[in-house]
Amino acid sequence: MTPRNLRKSALLGSALAFCAMGAAAETLRWASTTDPQTMDPHAVNSAPVLSFLNNIYEGLVRRGQDMSIEPSLAASWEPLEGENGWRFNLRQGVTFQDGAAFTAEDVMFSYQRASNEAADVRSWFAPVSDVRVVDDFTIDFVTTAPNPLFPDSIANFMILDKGWAESNDAALPARDAENFATMNVNGTGPFTLASRDPGVRTTLVPHDGWWDDAAHNVTEAVFTPIGNAATGLAALLSGEIDFIQPIPLQDVAQVEGRDGFKVLEGEETRVIMFGFGHEHDALLYSTDVTDANPFTDPRVRQAAAHAIDIASIDRVLFRGKIEAANQLVPAGISGYSEANENRPEYNPERARELLAEAGYPDGFSFGLKCPNDRYINDEALCRAAASMFAAVGLNAELSTGPVRDYWPQLREDDFDMYLLGWSPGTFDMEHPVRFLLHSQDDEKKLGSWNFGNYSNARVDELLPQIQQEIDPAARQAMIDEVVAITQEEVAYIPLYTQPLIWAAKDNIELTQRADNFFMLRWVTVN
Amino acid sequence: MVYFILKRLVQSVFVMLAVAFLAFSLFRFVGDPITQMTGVETSIEDQERLREELGLNDPFVLQFGRFTADMLQGDFGFSYRTRQPVAEMIATRIPATLELGIVALLISLFVGIPAGVYTALRPRGIPTQALLLTTLVGVSIPTFVIGIMLIFVFGVQLGWLPTFGRGGTVFIGNWESSLFTIEGWRALLLPAITLGVYQLTLTMRLVRAEMMEVMRSDYIRFGMARGVPMRRLHYKHALANTMVPVITIIGLQFGGVIAFSIVTESVFQWPGMGLLFLESIRFVDIPVMGVYLVVIAFFFVLVNLIVDLLYVVIDPRLRVRDVQ
Repeated sequence: MTPRNLRKSALLGSALAFCAMGAAAETLRWASTTDPQTMDPHAVNSAPVLSFLNNIYEGLVRRGQDMSIEPSLAASWEPLEGENGWRFNLRQGVTFQDGAAFTAEDVMFSYQRASNEAADVRSWFAPVSDVRVVDDFTIDFVTTAPNPLFPDSIANFMILDKGWAESNDAALPARDAENFATMNVNGTGPFTLASRDPGVRTTLVPHDGWWDDAAHNVTEAVFTPIGNAATGLAALLSGEIDFIQPIPLQDVAQVEGRDGFKVLEGEETRVIMFGFGHEHDALLYSTDVTDANPFTDPRVRQAAAHAIDIASIDRVLFRGKIEAANQLVPAGISGYSEANENRPEYNPERARELLAEAGYPDGFSFGLKCPNDRYINDEALCRAAASMFAAVGLNAELSTGPVRDYWPQLREDDFDMYLLGWSPGTFDMEHPVRFLLHSQDDEKKLGSWNFGNYSNARVDELLPQIQQEIDPAARQAMIDEVVAITQEEVAYIPLYTQPLIWAAKDNIELTQRADNFFMLRWVTVN
Repeated sequence: MVYFILKRLVQSVFVMLAVAFLAFSLFRFVGDPITQMTGVETSIEDQERLREELGLNDPFVLQFGRFTADMLQGDFGFSYRTRQPVAEMIATRIPATLELGIVALLISLFVGIPAGVYTALRPRGIPTQALLLTTLVGVSIPTFVIGIMLIFVFGVQLGWLPTFGRGGTVFIGNWESSLFTIEGWRALLLPAITLGVYQLTLTMRLVRAEMMEVMRSDYIRFGMARGVPMRRLHYKHALANTMVPVITIIGLQFGGVIAFSIVTESVFQWPGMGLLFLESIRFVDIPVMGVYLVVIAFFFVLVNLIVDLLYVVIDPRLRVRDVQ
């Protein structure tokens, strides 16, 4: 902790003592598993950071309670005339938390900062070819091709003050050593940082000069990361914290059974699925088939899909809280293909027939890789799936490991079948098509999470058209085609949408958004 | 004596180097820091550039050499996870761990030694049997279970003590201490008991066994025959002779208490070095993990040195040898 922050927390300490005497003070104490690594909105593209900083910084657009895009620092936007791109008309009279006025120069500066090599969020600006400040409150983002989704894709692009960043040597995000913006903030959002002790405690207080009407009544919000789930639950039940995200499924009954507490349940947008090594010549972990890769045959993949009994997984592992998935995004996400809502039924007979047709009447063994600390009940899910596979003759050799070790293994093609969860960052079907279904293409930065390199020429051809199509009906028709192809070929086996489970005291009103972001501006402490 | 201490300190440098080397050779199996540092949307190209910038593509020997060379110059590097200077991160976490460890040690000594003496002198009493049984249960249950049980009883059900964190702390210079406020002590109590319970059992049983041994020795019997008051025999002659092996074991254990406070810190969200280390493993934060392990190695060396010095204070025979 630097002396600067020490002073802040000392001040805060006395402020706290003072507030405790006043009646109007509404302190919210909340916990989550991970501390945001940095306070810099462009340095790390990870959910804990973006979720936290969305309380402090704002983008040109923002997402509402139902994830819809609404005006924020841009009051309105429209397509550019005569070229590809968007014009954003900025809100006037907005001030940063240090009092500086917000103008188009700040947007320009933030764009340059966020698209710099040192920024982890730069992929958001891959389609942008030029940015022009038209006047103090108008800015144009020119894109290389028509890009109807661009405003949606930058909802987490947060604007910081040019003068503040430059005068504090924070003109670029910290890549190696920390800089001023790692520990300090100056946004336009509803809250600002009062103190920060990384990994221990971070305190936010309302920004009095916020342009929007505050719907919350929080006068102070204290965030504590609590990594251990049992400790987090105890902290909630003992009343030391007011709200925690998430809690483990097995603790739901414990919380519901107590007076004064409630569980908030929703669906995350993350779809859990199995992927295949489409491109592998031979199985790596098989004891009986070592010279071929049966999963290159769509009938074998279809058989694997028919072997999975989602209803049992839901009942036994998830206490009825999951929604079966049929494609790579859940219903409600833009681009969701209503024309292709059927998922492969649970039918072990059919699975065995398909395996026999494919030349494996007795089945075969293969390696299944799963993380054990990434998704809810991931290891248990894989064990359950492995026994379901075994029932039709697919003998999965399961190996599980922590996620820090998992992605490198997948990148090195070290799997026969693997588990993956995907949340569409843009809340549009185009996102998984770009990352999971398009062939791997490092140069165009496509298919970067398509570990098994599923490849279909028609899908590759449709992706840029989907990205550029302005007409919603034509766009949906193309997405429907992609979903139909990939379901037909069983590119992945979509399993279910991951549940979202938070717990709070009864007197806390809050909004559980599907992206797992916790927004203080919708919190009421009663 | 000064020569002895100096020699030990020089040895400690080699111990730390060896630990750093072992640690570094294991880090490659911990996972890939880059996938933890970047978001899902970051392109492979950008990931590779970052990997190159951080020197992760360099051969192991080069990476290790760079780490040690920087450390020797006092440059502990920057965390991959938070980008903070590692020295500062560890330094701010040391007080929490040390205070927890020392209070745990004191609890184990102030309870363990009298209990050991008592159970040795009254081996057949009911309180003795009860003590032996409860401590046996205490030592058989894993630390995290004890911690969670204490939290649920005293934190959740009774609501007497806080369930996590350090409570009220004050700064003495740069040292953030829990020892000067009621809130701080309230927060410290449960984790210190959790961490100290194993140590307590060990101390009690060790003192008991040694004491019973000593009580059977000739000089005690002779003292009894001469009519030396029992109180004096027990607490002066017998206990002093009991303490040499006890101090060795307790001293060595204390290094372990500091190093293995990880579990207790995690259960109580106690913001010490152990918790920092756990977070760092999750994020494959190699600079923090490396420095933490070296610091822990240093603690071990230091504790051993102090134990050696304490021998001299307690056992006069060693003093004689030193003079010769």
